[in-house]
Amino acid sequence: MPQNWTAVALSRDVPPQVVIPTVVEGRELAVWRSQSGRIAAWEDRCPHRGMRLSHGFVRGEALSCIYHGWSYNEAGLCQRIPAHPDLVPPDAIRVPTLTAAESDGIIWVTAESTDRPPPKMPGFTPLRSLTVEVPASTITAVSASPIGEDGDLRLALAGIACLLLVQPLPGDRTALHALVAAGTSPTAQASVSRALEDLRHQAETERQAA
Amino acid sequence: MILYDYILSPDCYKVRLLAALTGTKITLRPVDFHPGGEHKTATFLAMNPSGTIPIFEDDGLILTESSAILTYLAAKTGPTWLGDDTPEMRGRVAQWLAFSQRLSASIGKARVHDMLNKPADIEACRKAGTQCLREIEAALVDQRLAGHDFLAGDRPTIADLACFPHSMLAPDGGISVDPYPSIRLWTRRVRALPGFIEMPGIHRLHDLKPEPGPIPERV
Repeated sequence: MPQNWTAVALSRDVPPQVVIPTVVEGRELAVWRSQSGRIAAWEDRCPHRGMRLSHGFVRGEALSCIYHGWSYNEAGLCQRIPAHPDLVPPDAIRVPTLTAAESDGIIWVTAESTDRPPPKMPGFTPLRSLTVEVPASTITAVSASPIGEDGDLRLALAGIACLLLVQPLPGDRTALHALVAAGTSPTAQASVSRALEDLRHQAETERQAA
Repeated sequence: MILYDYILSPDCYKVRLLAALTGTKITLRPVDFHPGGEHKTATFLAMNPSGTIPIFEDDGLILTESSAILTYLAAKTGPTWLGDDTPEMRGRVAQWLAFSQRLSASIGKARVHDMLNKPADIEACRKAGTQCLREIEAALVDQRLAGHDFLAGDRPTIADLACFPHSMLAPDGGISVDPYPSIRLWTRRVRALPGFIEMPGIHRLHDLKPEPGPIPERV
């Protein structure tokens, strides 16, 4: 079965009222969490003037554009235009939305409609995300580990079992969302974090040499 | 206390920000940095031979390095901002104050190249700037694992103020800040501090203010 969910961030890195930019299957997205904790993935463009919504801000259950303050409700419908406070915006002013879901502290997004829930990563706990200036193929070459069907790459870092969720980005870049074996001490997690920096360094050096 | 100031300068902004956060009144003297180059005139060179801004003047004392100004202003108006509770914290603050020079030399330089057409090896500046941001990101991960929200400990200090402006303004120099989730949350924590003030490119958290009016009802 082909993978249709992509890991885009750690849940911890998108707390309530935070919006982040990301890219899934070439589509630029704004991933954001409402005040009540609902996660959403939208096209990263305000229908009004095309400003990136990931530059915007979250009030309550709505995402607002930084440019003119147009705000969009959970369905992506424009609910308010500050310059025309009494106007009910027409339904045509709507941000295209994708499906976002969370599982074990990871935010997953899919551009397709799916009944399949996002993958589970039992026995692991999220550590950190980092971006590497190489395509995913270089990561697999350097780590000598294949990428599984959920985008998961399993390896030992600093002697600890780790799992990297691989998110391909445009421009031959790759985001890695790293998880460590559950129960790993904070000190050992810091060692894994440094080992990740080293893995990135190796991959980018390899890329330059190639 | 007089600050010779330029609105677009992150190093001047650090000083304005600390003054705002400690509730200190300082006198601002705007400098025609661009296009006038006023900071290179004889009057300014007499105060600061290195021909840079900010310049800070208080009671005959003249300071021209932003980290020194932050240290002096904190000692005088808000000593908790110095972060000298323990030798370790003091060391960390000194580390980041020194580190902020690398931010100015990379991101700061890329920014004046792109915004004000100043000459620079732009690719080298961007590469060095990215390296700085990666180091801050990694340090913030370490701090989180140790239970700390800020660069030098569990409260904001001048270390955070020294490094936060360039970390937000990097896109002005063509350096993306998208890949750094810990920096994003840290800059939000700084912007949420009571008394926070903005500069062009660093805006306040609009989500902290209520919606300016009711949502028109759909019928």
